[in-house]
Amino acid sequence: MSALAERLLADRSRIYSREEPVLSERAAEGGCGVTGFACTVPVGGRFIYEPSVQMHNRGNGKGGGIAAVGFVPEEMGVSREVLDSHYLLQIALLDPSCHAELERRFVLPHFDIALSTRQAHLDDHRDIPGLEVRPPDVHRYVVRVKPDVLERFAVSAGLTELAPQKLEDEFIFRNSYQLNDVFYASLGEKRAFVLSHGKDLLVYKLVGYAEQNVQYYQLEDVKAHVWIAHQRYPTKGRVWHPGGAHPFVGVNEALVHNGDFANYHSVCEYLRQRNIRQQFLTDTEVSVQLFDLWDRVYGYPLEYIIEALAPTTEFDFDQLPPEKQLVYRQIQATHIHASPDGPWFFIIARSHQNRFQLLGITDTAMLRPQVFALSDSGQVQIGLICSEKQAIDATLRSLAKEDPRFCPVADRYWNARGGSSTDGGAFIFTVAPGQNGQSGRMQLSCSDKFGRAFKLDSGTVRCDQATAEIRDKESASDVAGRLERSDVAALFREVQDLPVWPADRLRRFCREVIIGADDPRSRAAAIELLSLIHDRRIDTGDKRRATVVQVLEEALEELFDSAPLFGEPAVRFWRRITWATRDHLLAPEPQEELLCIDATGFQPEGDDCDAVLLRKAYQAGWKRFAVYRLRGQRFHGAGLGPGTDGVRIDLHGSNGDYTASGMDGLEIHIHGNAQDQLGQIAKRGKLVIHGDVGQTFMYGAKGGEVFVLGNAAGRPLINAVGRPRVVINGTCLDFLAESFMAGDPHNGGGFVILNGMEFDRRGRVVPLPVPYPGSNLFSLASGGAIYIRDPHRSTTERQLNGGAFFDLDDKDWRVIRPYLEENQRLFGIPIEDLLTVDGQLKSPQEVYRRVSPVKLSVLAGSEEEE
Amino acid sequence: MSTTETDVVARTRAEPREHPSRRPDSSDCQQDRSAREVHPAPDRYRNAIGKYKIDRLASCISCGRCAEVCPQGVHVKPGGYAFTVRPHDYQCVGPECARTDRFCVALCPQKALSLRRNPSAECMGDPRWSSDLILATWHEAATGHEPPPHLECRHGASGGGFDKLRFKFEVEDPERPAQVPAAEIDTGLDLNHRQDGRPQVHIDIPIYGGGMSFGSVSIHTILAKARAASAWNSFTCTGEGGYPDRLKPYDDHVITQVATGLFGVREETIQRVRMVEFKYAQGAKPGLGGHLLGDKNTPPVARMREAVAGNALFSPFPFHSVYSVEDHKKHLDWIKEVNPRCLVSVKVSTPTDVDMVAVGSYYAGAHIIHLDGSYGGTGAAPDIAKKNIAMPIEFAIPKVHKFLLAEGIRDAVTLICSGGIRTPHDVLKAVALGADGAVIGTAEMVALGCVRCACCESGRGCPRGIASTDPELMMQMSLEWATQRLVNLHNAWREQMVDVLSRLRMKSIRELRGRSDLLCYLSDEPDLAEEVSR
Repeated sequence: MSALAERLLADRSRIYSREEPVLSERAAEGGCGVTGFACTVPVGGRFIYEPSVQMHNRGNGKGGGIAAVGFVPEEMGVSREVLDSHYLLQIALLDPSCHAELERRFVLPHFDIALSTRQAHLDDHRDIPGLEVRPPDVHRYVVRVKPDVLERFAVSAGLTELAPQKLEDEFIFRNSYQLNDVFYASLGEKRAFVLSHGKDLLVYKLVGYAEQNVQYYQLEDVKAHVWIAHQRYPTKGRVWHPGGAHPFVGVNEALVHNGDFANYHSVCEYLRQRNIRQQFLTDTEVSVQLFDLWDRVYGYPLEYIIEALAPTTEFDFDQLPPEKQLVYRQIQATHIHASPDGPWFFIIARSHQNRFQLLGITDTAMLRPQVFALSDSGQVQIGLICSEKQAIDATLRSLAKEDPRFCPVADRYWNARGGSSTDGGAFIFTVAPGQNGQSGRMQLSCSDKFGRAFKLDSGTVRCDQATAEIRDKESASDVAGRLERSDVAALFREVQDLPVWPADRLRRFCREVIIGADDPRSRAAAIELLSLIHDRRIDTGDKRRATVVQVLEEALEELFDSAPLFGEPAVRFWRRITWATRDHLLAPEPQEELLCIDATGFQPEGDDCDAVLLRKAYQAGWKRFAVYRLRGQRFHGAGLGPGTDGVRIDLHGSNGDYTASGMDGLEIHIHGNAQDQLGQIAKRGKLVIHGDVGQTFMYGAKGGEVFVLGNAAGRPLINAVGRPRVVINGTCLDFLAESFMAGDPHNGGGFVILNGMEFDRRGRVVPLPVPYPGSNLFSLASGGAIYIRDPHRSTTERQLNGGAFFDLDDKDWRVIRPYLEENQRLFGIPIEDLLTVDGQLKSPQEVYRRVSPVKLSVLAGSEEEE
Repeated sequence: MSTTETDVVARTRAEPREHPSRRPDSSDCQQDRSAREVHPAPDRYRNAIGKYKIDRLASCISCGRCAEVCPQGVHVKPGGYAFTVRPHDYQCVGPECARTDRFCVALCPQKALSLRRNPSAECMGDPRWSSDLILATWHEAATGHEPPPHLECRHGASGGGFDKLRFKFEVEDPERPAQVPAAEIDTGLDLNHRQDGRPQVHIDIPIYGGGMSFGSVSIHTILAKARAASAWNSFTCTGEGGYPDRLKPYDDHVITQVATGLFGVREETIQRVRMVEFKYAQGAKPGLGGHLLGDKNTPPVARMREAVAGNALFSPFPFHSVYSVEDHKKHLDWIKEVNPRCLVSVKVSTPTDVDMVAVGSYYAGAHIIHLDGSYGGTGAAPDIAKKNIAMPIEFAIPKVHKFLLAEGIRDAVTLICSGGIRTPHDVLKAVALGADGAVIGTAEMVALGCVRCACCESGRGCPRGIASTDPELMMQMSLEWATQRLVNLHNAWREQMVDVLSRLRMKSIRELRGRSDLLCYLSDEPDLAEEVSR
């Protein structure tokens, strides 16, 4: 700590009215939903509305907040110069009668005021359904500290050497602390508090859902570059208070948080030692205090701040270069007791030297769900961070609906590896003026904790372009004919020419397919074909892959929409059911095979969710289902009970958590990325995921054959027993198959094949830098095996805890080969490509290794212990 | 949704596929009444352990005088025998007998008899589960009724917890007579207070059995618990070792436990029951998951759990899929989706913010909040954890009860407590503190003959064959005998609860809930009774 920082902190004693800080129980709080995005163009508050609504079930309507960074000067009623240089002091007036006193004591004496304005709001909060508590009145001042006041402050605090900018920040910070101290006592009277006081940053919060801020404060059209939102799930007390809602602010940053610290008191103690006190008594407040301390007071670079929050440990620490280890060791030694212990995930929005940033940071153990996404249409770029992928999709969808520059599908979705040597568990989106300094044209960059740029590798030509209407079957006769013959393979081969197709050709092709699908056979073929094009990582050439996916998704939706509703004249093959017609469910007629469920409007869980409807339909005799337009609905395939062989469910759109949990016989195909908690206690059946899969996948599974095209996030297959057989073509974040107990793979037991591959933009599989980056592989396992594609033997003993490497033998290859063949059939990943290393075809023994359990004393019975 | 499952199903097939709870409850109860009958189920060892020991000297002349006078049947001289047989001294009531005119020691013409405390009995138990409590529980299980006064059956000797609590009348007016006829007193509970369209589940006694897995205990123990629960229209719980097929006849009285290891949990086992319990934590070892040592993981146990025999089986802590309240809600939503008719119970330990946990569970959709305090636990819980972590249950219950009241949701949720509920008096005290009912674990094991040796986890397990799946050890106990012991135990407990309720002039156990004003706390001065602070 520099002497100056020390002086600054020590001098804060002046603002503390009491001798000792109030030590009190913090407000109890569980998890939450968090979301945020950063965009090169400022967009209206209504776009944070959609993802917030999508995550209602992560909050309970007892606290919701939003923050925005990077406004449009005209909308704020000030000039660009003022917006860049002034602070936006935003105050929640719970008791508007205190305003005059507040202004007299804490605003007028200290600030030059460029603008003083009351935030517009609806006349009556009850016009918003479900909003029961009147939100606070909000008053905003656009201010700078008066020069003489600032100078007196510098002298009296002994901070004259501090840069003027930092001095002013500190003054703002202290003034707000004192304001809160007078007008807001967390355990007493609450009259007013500072919502935010940063540059180009505003915070709103209320007792309700996050998006109700947008409605009540009429922010639908207020534009900003960065938006974040938080749905709170507090559990204590009948009376809640907006002061406890997220986001919390430092000075120029706002933080939202999903999780819960076990060491809240230890962190408070650390802060107390540095003369920092709490006013709102939540985990989130101390989180942002840590960030503010390390960033603004100590001046640490972002990388070190992230290291202090989520330390790099174990195997990952050893992977760091020595010079980094040296620094990190110091950071950990000094700040480990301030590192939040427990599950947490932060999203931070900040204005930083006239740049706007969005940060997502996950804890070392990755205990909270988190998804990052990046979308770049050339004209606009947007980076998104969210608790659930489906909320990211909701954001993009709502943007694309209004602004054709956006695409409803992101170019890339990924998870961060907490406290890792690979990405550090954090990503930062920065919106900044373009390289030539044009202020009008902003650019978005994305980097990880280590400052390494994260770049997209995709074509740029959009396929989602209008195309000439095709109405009759004649003009589609070529496609129609082949569909009738179920010649899906030939049609799919045709699409391999996509790189040389004109931009609108794909959509035209899809239209032909839809029109050609007019009898049972061709309908089935059309679904198969469109799904195949959607799912396969074909070479898209100069075409932007996200738009290819978008076109196919829309085509599939259109195709399913053409199925008749119950009550409409029957055609063979299929039926459709929607939220509005859900009561008309009937058993299938003899030639009806497929039930299409349009998920629009269905609840994500509870009696009104489409998974319940699907179960009822199954009980009525339906066996094949296509669920489409999914918007995060959960539990598909759960509850059908045992003996569901012959049932097949296809999921299209943004599917939700717990899909395929408990499956016992049935087959589920997920067309796209899957979310968290898939395949819990799965017993039997087949699960195919044409993308990545989220946290704790196959927890406690007993069996099932599972194929994952991409990666699995943290902790897949924990405590799995019996005979689950899983192929993961990508990798896992960490803790793969901990406590795996699945018998002997050579005698019917279970295993995981980990290929450690990814696709390049040409649609070819290429190996990842390492097949498994995590610190823990197969730890404490007592049965089963991991077959890992590791030709360079880069996975080491250090990553095992209770397992050992073995050479692959013929028996192993006989066991896994059929699964790799099925993998080839499903995903088009040839075994030959998997066995090719640096251009040379090798034997399976040279490419794959087996990890098997060795008997550990901790697991052994007493006889072995002697 | 107005399309009911029955409508749809009726159109398609005659046999509904999935109706786990559609069984005629009333007829079950009718049938069960006879199963509730008390029959003697004496100790299964030839030399049962009693509180006292009678020694007979060689100077005995086998005159048979002692057999004539003893009202307890300690001395027996069967017809045609020349000698009196070895005294059945486990039936002896001890020095109290000296006040009567039938005291064998005084009446023996040869002065050949002497009475002393039985050292085997004295070395059993511990302050919480005192020797007397163990013997009293055995007596209850053997006879189905309250034990005689020489056995202290109401509390242990721990000097804390429930042992320091009394109903005021016990101190002020111990002889207060019964005030309500026993037949009019209801000890039953409804378990669903959510009014969420799920079925009501009623139990006839305010207790049900705790989770003990196949593996931790023998199949006989599991089945006996289930049969007794079925007879008394209550529940037993699978624990997390799977759902043995032999349990299926008792589906309506079984709770499927979903615990952190998810061992043996399948959709089938969730769908066939009326109640599912999420075990988030165990009061005896908060922060630790289940742990079955390698020796007890025998091939049949491993088959049930689909794991590898001979390897220790750990359950993680906590649920890897649940790190927050919204995860928790999702978790409950999932099980409710799988079984649309089941009630959901959430079992948690008692951390300092247990009130928050309870409220959070209510909002997540739980029907039952099950608080597991720190006094419980068999030999399987590490000593360092037992009683040393989490809040004592007698603090946790009122804390949660009052908090739920303040939230206005107390009547929308059932509060069940466990963790050291040893006697019917403990149950009543817990209810007076604010619980609706209780879950018992160790008491049932003691009824089956457990001596609290704490060897449940070593080697092949229990020397008495209760907590063992060893094929030889478990055969020490027949299923019929074990069932009768537990049926008797419940009867004895119910009789004692009815007696206290009657003396409190209450017609239902539900009237007692939250009446902590009826309790007092014994200070260290034995004759000073202090009121429990509000």
